[in-house]
Amino acid sequence: MTGRRLVLLLVPLLLLGLPGLAPAQVPPVAPVAPPSLAAELSTRRIEVTTAFAGGEILVFGATERLIHAGGDEVVVLATGPNAAIVVREKVQVLGLWINGPAARFNNVPSYWAMASTRPPPEMLADVERTELRLGVDLISLPQLGARGPQFRDALRDLKRADGLWADAVPMEVSGGRLFHARLPVPSTVATGEYRVQVLLVRAGRVVARQELSLDIVRVGTAARIADVARDMPMLYGIACILLAAFAGWLGSVLFRRG
Amino acid sequence: MQVYLPIAEMSVDALLLLGIGFGVGWLSGLFGVGGGFLLTPLLILIGIPSAVAVGSGANQTLGASVSGLIAQWRRGNVDLRMGLVLLVGGFAGSLVGVQLFAWLRRAGQVDLAVAVFYVVVLGTVGALMVRESVGAILRRGKGRKTRLHEHFWIHGLPLKMRFRKSRLYISVIPPLAIGFAIGLLSAVMGVGGGFMLVPAMIYLLGMPTSVVIGTSLFQVVFVTANVTFLQAIQVGSVDVVLTLLLLAGGVVGAQFGAAMGGKLRGEETRALLGALVLSVAAALLWDLLSVPDQLFVIGPVP
Repeated sequence: MTGRRLVLLLVPLLLLGLPGLAPAQVPPVAPVAPPSLAAELSTRRIEVTTAFAGGEILVFGATERLIHAGGDEVVVLATGPNAAIVVREKVQVLGLWINGPAARFNNVPSYWAMASTRPPPEMLADVERTELRLGVDLISLPQLGARGPQFRDALRDLKRADGLWADAVPMEVSGGRLFHARLPVPSTVATGEYRVQVLLVRAGRVVARQELSLDIVRVGTAARIADVARDMPMLYGIACILLAAFAGWLGSVLFRRG
Repeated sequence: MQVYLPIAEMSVDALLLLGIGFGVGWLSGLFGVGGGFLLTPLLILIGIPSAVAVGSGANQTLGASVSGLIAQWRRGNVDLRMGLVLLVGGFAGSLVGVQLFAWLRRAGQVDLAVAVFYVVVLGTVGALMVRESVGAILRRGKGRKTRLHEHFWIHGLPLKMRFRKSRLYISVIPPLAIGFAIGLLSAVMGVGGGFMLVPAMIYLLGMPTSVVIGTSLFQVVFVTANVTFLQAIQVGSVDVVLTLLLLAGGVVGAQFGAAMGGKLRGEETRALLGALVLSVAAALLWDLLSVPDQLFVIGPVP
């Protein structure tokens, strides 16, 4: 019914417009093509409070064409601030297991998570994957100190076990063109600026990319405690002493029996 | 309920911490010790980094000992002069201990050092306690010659001083040395050291039992305060949220433990405490000797 009414309304308008049909009067069609990739994060800020028990980075977006193997494909890669890490190998000395040789990695992403519609080796050539570092084993990690690949492997395995490095996070596709991935963030996550890259892969090539960022910040009591402990260690030390003494005294007064 | 520990940078179940605090508090109330030697290994066991466990353990021991010190002070059971001499040694010892700890941390051997210290110290002290108390139980009923205290050669060293409350006139060198050793262990192990200090005061210094507990608490409170302060400045490993949660459980547990401890006889209590100390040492030794689950460990560059 409404459709017919709309037509009835439009017809006179069109008739009125017809005599003076000029290019200027036709509403111009936007000349820009729709973006081949649009992505966004559900939040630009994750707050680590005293009750923080982990969270997630929700990346979502849409592609221009249908998402399927051989069509449009999406890779999401999130990385956290770099940190210097020491990997120590335990060795047996006189029957005791002690920390032995150590290798140092100066720029280790404290967080690294990847989600993709298909495993990257199936959609991209090795050269391109290596260049984009799309794989836990492709992260650039110059090694100092002890030599040998076992240190790098151990770093990868331990980071994975802590949930701080994750590949193969599932990517959900709905409606053919909408995608979203939930990258898990464990409670041990480092604070700082996180980068999220979203890549659109078409016919074995990256044709579009979008860079997003979010901040993971300590807030509330936890943030203040950590800041004071770092910036004013003397004040913090004295505060710890007084608080513990007061709590001990208070407790014994409150719970005194008999 | 998960709670985020700002210095350890991890989430832990608050109920678990309260429970550990309660359990350790209960045992410390039962046996009349600070309980730091149980607390620090338990914290390491649940995944708290060794450095944080030691720093916060010392801080917790401080809180747990304060009320005992106040009570003993009111009863006049603190030999202040002896306490101050022990404390001079204790401050020097904890200062050296924290430097040693910071150096071990840089060398990546904190875990090993903490474990070895625990195995050696707890193993020795536990064995001595069990031997002494079992001997006392066996000797029970037989007449024993009693003396005010025995004199050793160490009492005759120079720099003699009169400790009126302890009824002693001895050299200050042995209490200084004992204070130093306890301070050092306190810094590396995160304990108050009461379980070693009390026997040392009785058997080495010959102090009367009435002032031993109060005077050892005096030393423990101030040395753990010093360790807390130095660890906070030099290592940055005191987690006040962790400390307060442990204390919250601990002060309640200690009251229950103390109520129950009154019903146990001295020798039995010491034998039980000795067995507990030995079992902690054995558990840590087992950890050092068994093949670790992970042959690699990662950590921040110190």
